[in-house]
Amino acid sequence: MKLDNRTKAEVIWVIAVVAILSWAAVSNATYLQTHSENIANPVGPDPQGVIINVTGYQWAWAFQYPNGTISTDKLVLTNGTTYTLIVSSKDVIHDLYIPEFGVNIYAVYGHTNQITFKPTKAGIYLFECVEYCGEFHYEMRGTVVVT
Amino acid sequence: MGFSFVLAVFGSTIAIIVIMGFLLYYFAVDYRKGLLGDTNSALPKTESNTMLSRMRRELSFSAFMMDDSKSIGIRYIVTSIVLFFIAGLAGIGMRLSLWFPNPSFLTPIQYNILLTAHGTLMLYGWAVGGILGLTYYLLPTSIKLRKDSLGTVSSIMYWMYLVGALLLIFSKSTATWYFYYPVVDQLTASGGGSYSFGGLIGVMLILTATITACIIFLKMIFIDRDKSIRLSSLPLFAWSVVSTAFLIISSAPVSMIADGFLIYDLINPIFFQGANGTALAYAIMFWFWGHPIVYVAVIPAFGLIYELLPRFTGTKIYSYRAGVLSLLLLMVLSGTVWGHHLFNSGLGTVWDLIFSTTSFIVAIPSAMSVFNWIATMWVGRVRMSVPVLFIINAIIDFIIGGVTGVMLGDVGVNQLLHGTYAVTAHFHFILLGLTTGMAFATFYVLFPTLTGGRNYNIPMAKVHFYLTSIGTWIMSGFWLVGGFAGMPRRVAGYFGIFQTYQDAAAIGGVVLGIGYLIFLINFLYSAYKPVETGTGNALEEEAVA
Ligand code: HEM
Ligand code: HEM
Ligand SMILES: [Cu+2]
Ligand SMILES: [Cu+2]
Repeated sequence: MKLDNRTKAEVIWVIAVVAILSWAAVSNATYLQTHSENIANPVGPDPQGVIINVTGYQWAWAFQYPNGTISTDKLVLTNGTTYTLIVSSKDVIHDLYIPEFGVNIYAVYGHTNQITFKPTKAGIYLFECVEYCGEFHYEMRGTVVVT
Repeated sequence: MGFSFVLAVFGSTIAIIVIMGFLLYYFAVDYRKGLLGDTNSALPKTESNTMLSRMRRELSFSAFMMDDSKSIGIRYIVTSIVLFFIAGLAGIGMRLSLWFPNPSFLTPIQYNILLTAHGTLMLYGWAVGGILGLTYYLLPTSIKLRKDSLGTVSSIMYWMYLVGALLLIFSKSTATWYFYYPVVDQLTASGGGSYSFGGLIGVMLILTATITACIIFLKMIFIDRDKSIRLSSLPLFAWSVVSTAFLIISSAPVSMIADGFLIYDLINPIFFQGANGTALAYAIMFWFWGHPIVYVAVIPAFGLIYELLPRFTGTKIYSYRAGVLSLLLLMVLSGTVWGHHLFNSGLGTVWDLIFSTTSFIVAIPSAMSVFNWIATMWVGRVRMSVPVLFIINAIIDFIIGGVTGVMLGDVGVNQLLHGTYAVTAHFHFILLGLTTGMAFATFYVLFPTLTGGRNYNIPMAKVHFYLTSIGTWIMSGFWLVGGFAGMPRRVAGYFGIFQTYQDAAAIGGVVLGIGYLIFLINFLYSAYKPVETGTGNALEEEAVA
């Protein structure tokens, strides 16, 4: 088969695009394979590390620590410890977003998700609700304190 | 007292509308006779409508009382532009209110009402309505339509679309364009809005109209086109309509069923309730249509670029086959990627992998089209003019939007950007630069025909172009940067650290608004000048004068 110049240019372009996208797809698949506990998943059999139960409701976040204490709109963590957040909602759909740790996880009524991460630097970070949930959606935000 | 006063206002409004309807009808009968001549207007409706839809046609309110394809097209074009300006005002209002970190002149509830109105009206009113309008208007001349039938159906569907749009404006829903369960079923101002179901019914009316119109388009293309046009030489615009129509018909019904379930859940909650189902079931059904609709908003714009470029470069399109292939691949592939809107909802690792991979694949046909356009301009000699400026800008903005789209399709990146303004930036680049840009480019191309022989003022059109192009860049550009810094979208107030991005984007929004205002002034100023040129246009060389 002999291609004319026009088709040749076209084919070269498509091959180049496919090559770049394949690289993206492979690196994405690798990330998923190696970080599957680091993305939102339905709650699994044995969560790692310290477990914090997170409940979103209109319009605040409640964090329940293993010793039973609850803090609202403020999450307190210890540097270097592995945490698993077990996230659910009391009413509508919310989404807990902590950019610093790559945490982005839906809080859904009647459905529990989990995500695992490990803070590696002390400091104060932000978290926000990023799934629209009604009048005071924008106030569903707060700080993460890593000591 | 109050009651009878309301009744009097209401009654007289209805009376005025009815009287105006009758007057318009009589004008329309005369107008139609004037276009066709006495003998032809006595022909059966299908025949005379066919003649009308193959003729050049200017804007006229009589179109609202006529039901040939060109008239229906004009109805949709006029209505969708009005809706675009209403939704644009809402957008600029939101942008300005976000000047300060705390809600300023808009209360959170007012902000959320505007957010919902803007999203729904822009997508269903402007993008979908404008595409229906341009298709009804251009398709008959582009495929030399032999038989213009089903005018009554098209007409009824238009009125349904109009009622739907009015419901979207007046329902004051605050459920956003997702209408996610359970927010939408909280019938309070702080939930989904007291009449959020009004918005749902509006969406369902518009989708019914859209699906029916798409079936009519497919009938026109596959059954009623002129025999001299083989499928292998069907204009690329018609191919883009085929692609869009199949995409809509295969995905919109799923969302309509979900909307119906929502309305039923208001009365008797059984479908998406925690105990029986899950709120996520609605989200999944919604995105099954929610992704295709964004491609519906771009594929016809692709078709218009394919159609316009050869006319402004003096060559044929670089590769017709690759163009058709790209449009048809987009149709098939964009039905498979909807899960990328729900990566973090707990679909699980495997589904995330599937949807991110399909999202990478869907970029291939998009890239094929981009190559085709650039190559056409490369091979031919580009004659600069206002529409060409819009086309070049559309291609650039689509590349930016496409690259950010692929980035969002990567699960790791999505965790960092989902729910931030980076997403808003991704789609405004495309919806403003490509969808809206190509709609206005086409409007400028059709200008002499639509206004019965007037030219638009070129310097003013250039100012319109530069202001909207630069405005899009400023607004979406700062959104993108803010999004990477973690700035959340859909909020009526924000952390003070984001104020720089928000304020810069507000300036971009104002620049955009001034740009569209100049378009409006140019249109009003030019359309009432004395007649100065012919009524032909580049897209409809074959149209009867
Ligand atoms: C190159 C192909 C594209 C890919 C891979 C892509 C990918 C994505 C992804 C992954 C998201 C979800 C972001 C999130 O919420 O986390 C998204 C959102 C969006 N995309 Fe694209 N996109 C592409 C092209 C387009 C096109 C052509 C349009 C048309 C205008 C578009 C319009 C939108 C809209 C409107 C949203 C946001 C919907 C919302 O949440 O309100 N995208 N895109
Ligand atoms: C006239 C210029 C425009 C301005 C100033 C503008 C401004 C905005 C603003 C401020 C938001 C809300 C951001 C948020 O709070 O999350 C927004 C969202 C949105 N815009 Fe635009 N926009 C414009 C044009 C368009 C066009 C032409 C389209 C579509 C064809 C469009 C579709 C949307 C959609 C779908 C959303 C998402 C709504 C939601 O999150 O529910 N916009 N726009
Ligand atoms: Cu929330
Ligand atoms: Cu999508």
